[in-house]
Amino acid sequence: MSHAVAPTTLWSRIMNSRNTLGWLFMLPTAVFLLMFLVYPLGLGIWLSFTDAKIGRPGEFVGLENYIWIIEDPKFQTAVFFTIFYTFVASVAKFAVGLYLALLLNERLPFKAILRAIVLIPFIVPTVLSAIAFWWIFDPQFSVISWGLKNAGLIDGNINFLGDAWNSRWSVIFANVWRGVPFIAISLLAGLQTVPPSLYEAATLDGASRWQMFRHITYPLLTPIIAVVMTFSVLFTFTDFQLIKVLTNGGPAGATELMATMSYNTAILGGRIGEGAAVSTAMVPFLLAAIMVSWFGLQRRQWQQGSDHE
Amino acid sequence: MSEAKLPVQSDDSDGMSYLSTLPQRVVRVYIPLALIVIVLLFPFYWMTLTSIKPKEQLLDLDTFNPFWVWQPTFEHIADLLFKTDYPQWLWNTMFIAVSATVLSLIASVFSAYAITRIRFKGANTVGGAIFLAYLVPPSILFIPLSTVVYEYGLFDTPFALILTYPTILIPFSTWLLMGYFKTIPYELEECALIDGASRWQILIKIILPLAVPGLISASIFCLTLCWNEFIYALTFINSVEKKTVPVAILSAFTDGDQYRWGSLMAGALVGSLPLVVLYAFFVEHYVSAMTGAVKE
Amino acid sequence: MTTRQFSRRDALKSGAALAGAGALGNLSLFANAWANANAWKPEKGAKLQILRWKRFVQSEEDAYMALVAAFTQATGVEVKVLNESLDDVQPKASVAANTGQGPDLFWGLYSLPHLFPNKCLDVTDVADYLGKKYGGWVPTAVTYGQSKGRWIALPAAYNGNVINYRQSMIEKAGFKSVPGDTAGFLEMMKALKAKSTPGGFALGRASGDGNAWVHWALWAHGANLVDKKDNVIINSPETVKALEYIKALSETFVDGTASWNDAFNNKAFLQSQISVTNNGVSIYAAAKAASGTDPKMKEIMDDMNHSLWPVGPVGKPTEFHIAYPMMAMKYSKFPNACKAFLSFTLEAENYDKWLQGGVAYLTHPLNAYDNNPVWKSDPKLSMLRDVAKRTLTAGGEGSVGEKAASALADFVMLDMVASVCTGRATIKEAISVAERQAKRIYR
Repeated sequence: MSHAVAPTTLWSRIMNSRNTLGWLFMLPTAVFLLMFLVYPLGLGIWLSFTDAKIGRPGEFVGLENYIWIIEDPKFQTAVFFTIFYTFVASVAKFAVGLYLALLLNERLPFKAILRAIVLIPFIVPTVLSAIAFWWIFDPQFSVISWGLKNAGLIDGNINFLGDAWNSRWSVIFANVWRGVPFIAISLLAGLQTVPPSLYEAATLDGASRWQMFRHITYPLLTPIIAVVMTFSVLFTFTDFQLIKVLTNGGPAGATELMATMSYNTAILGGRIGEGAAVSTAMVPFLLAAIMVSWFGLQRRQWQQGSDHE
Repeated sequence: MSEAKLPVQSDDSDGMSYLSTLPQRVVRVYIPLALIVIVLLFPFYWMTLTSIKPKEQLLDLDTFNPFWVWQPTFEHIADLLFKTDYPQWLWNTMFIAVSATVLSLIASVFSAYAITRIRFKGANTVGGAIFLAYLVPPSILFIPLSTVVYEYGLFDTPFALILTYPTILIPFSTWLLMGYFKTIPYELEECALIDGASRWQILIKIILPLAVPGLISASIFCLTLCWNEFIYALTFINSVEKKTVPVAILSAFTDGDQYRWGSLMAGALVGSLPLVVLYAFFVEHYVSAMTGAVKE
Repeated sequence: MTTRQFSRRDALKSGAALAGAGALGNLSLFANAWANANAWKPEKGAKLQILRWKRFVQSEEDAYMALVAAFTQATGVEVKVLNESLDDVQPKASVAANTGQGPDLFWGLYSLPHLFPNKCLDVTDVADYLGKKYGGWVPTAVTYGQSKGRWIALPAAYNGNVINYRQSMIEKAGFKSVPGDTAGFLEMMKALKAKSTPGGFALGRASGDGNAWVHWALWAHGANLVDKKDNVIINSPETVKALEYIKALSETFVDGTASWNDAFNNKAFLQSQISVTNNGVSIYAAAKAASGTDPKMKEIMDDMNHSLWPVGPVGKPTEFHIAYPMMAMKYSKFPNACKAFLSFTLEAENYDKWLQGGVAYLTHPLNAYDNNPVWKSDPKLSMLRDVAKRTLTAGGEGSVGEKAASALADFVMLDMVASVCTGRATIKEAISVAERQAKRIYR
């Protein structure tokens, strides 16, 4: 076979130089991310140090916005609830998602259809299912209240979104409802990579279901769990639309997330500098949350002690 | 990402199931599954029901059992399709979603290939850096991004969204495609390289055709994310006729202080249908994409 | 929501249609005469976009679109009307002001123009012309419309937010009419709750209804956010008394009001779930519109009535109605067309019909319109005639400007009340939070 000699034009040198080519290929991505991510990020951080308002540009004011929001009870509530919401919803999504994945992994009729059905809450745009929930959680006309009243279990209508803690649990429920499918299907995919021979061997050794789960299933799933839960924590922490539609941070700021507070402060309240400070304040928390979920959930392969590494 | 070096098993492995009896399975598997599925589906049942309920039955829970509908009506859906700009919004959303997806895929294909195959200096760092993009989600960026969008003259045009969505889509698609490209045997490329093919040719003629399932899966993800995006669409688009479906539905049916629930639900339902249809055709790809991706 | 664009052809079509009823026949005569006499000749090829809040009453919008059509017919200027929900008008206007592009005119609420006074077109000439011709502007219109002595917007209309109540229900509770004092009002609400026909007022972030009743209640007891000089005085014994009253009042409400926005009380009232609430006339208008086909709506329409707010310990009315200023932006390419449109809107031949179409949802800011037939058309609507004169302005005693607008947009007062009523904070805590926020806004 003859070795074709490529002409040494500039183009072909670029094409064949590994590094240049590599960077060239990265160019489209780099352009998008630089123009629409890195630059705005820098701008956002800059804005948070100014007193920009929506009607006029601002002047540099140093850390004033940050000092203000740190001392602001409303911001403190928002931080508390963002963390609470993320933690509780993620744990719930993980638990229910894992359980559902285990169920779906059993031998079942109509498996494909079931998987498709289970995905529906994830497919439907969040805003639209939030509208449905809004109606379901209506203070006067909720179908859940109606059902429970007719079953004689409660007397009055449930105040889903009007009471501080009720509204918090209601939005957490809506978030979990929406997030379970993604986690379930991802974990299901992971479950299907576990060879049944492991289970067979364990059963022969007399292991119970729980022991099999704890020593076989779970350790093998940890890499996948880490990835999926990291994404989930990220999306939950920065959730905006669900709260915006259902409660808009109410009642009296009980369900305010940092994301909705940032929007309300900047766009509705007109104080862009302050809103940008709230947004930027999310980044360290986000970083911490991701570190916890990524490194906490990962288990090094060598720790598993299984016979697969 | 750690590699789980396990072979993929088929779906219907019987495994240990011969050991459990039917009553056991009903209690342990079928009932919990049924309960979860009911809870997952109930809001859609509710959405559908409300969108075909005549107005009088909507709020009068004492006379009419809310779980059922008598004399269903199509007037809410008709209102939606004919009296509002819904077809326009649908078109806007599809146009924006498809364009953003195409742009993202192109960028992702190049990046994924560059990182996994070309292995240029700093490839892994760059690979990691791309995922840092997710550390800065839309709810953090939308304020400064709106200023940037004005500066580039894109405000209130679909391009504001078409050009900003890739920042959300590219990292995920790149990750997905990286997983796919890694499964393509390197020998194919080696042969081609020896034959004198350029990287470009390899990409187009060898890698892409083999990665079609990955491309489809990535497209589905991207389209879903675009449809679901809300905060950019809310902030960057002002004119009613340029809005996307999620944003428009929310503002279309509120007459100041009267919400037309029937139409609102109809809007929510019809707004979900395009995606559901898409998934109906491609759910297998979606699931296999997850499988492929998590293998990595 | 559809946008309407009237080209000359459309205007002629709709013009022809209306002419059949004789209405536009007169209008077009006037319109043409006006076009010749009007001081602000639109620029050649002018096209306007106006962004307004989405209608609450269908007939009001119909009348408005007819007005717009007449303008197009008179001047040949195309006008596109964009509708946004009430809460979205402010952000969109702010964004447009910030970026220097967008609709030429905005029709928003309260102190919207004061958020960016330098970006608004100076319309002093239009205001002076209209004031002279129509008996003068009411004092609050001057406050809302002027900034540093120049008019930056025209408060084209006000919306009267009044007590809506069910006559039969209050009679069963022992009251022939809504008491005129706050103490009596509380008694009535308690009695209504005892008879299982409670009232309900929005405690959620309802920018229209919520702000209206909360400000009434606070001001009625002398609790003000700021004084005449914009000093923050919310931390006062009057505020404590006011919040105690409000808490007692809220205990008579139906459940769930803390999650109410502006639509929920409409829904509940029209389903006879509550006996008393506050609202514009949109509830009555909705009942009336459906009364022909739905006997339940007819019953509500017949049974309900409106009443002005009770007076509190301060001894005079402390009502907070919504002002809707209309402004033109400096960046508009067609400032004369904008001015022409603004003045056309408030000319009697147009405004009168619009007021009637609004069935008392809108109230006029110019004194001459006191004689508009809509105020005599239905005894249940007559009290809305004077809301522009009775209302206090945003910011209470203090300035109507960026700070007042910011305080309203941040729901400072509303959140304070809501946190006390839902038990999330003690009165002292709620006041200190509000005070802190206000100090920041008003520094």
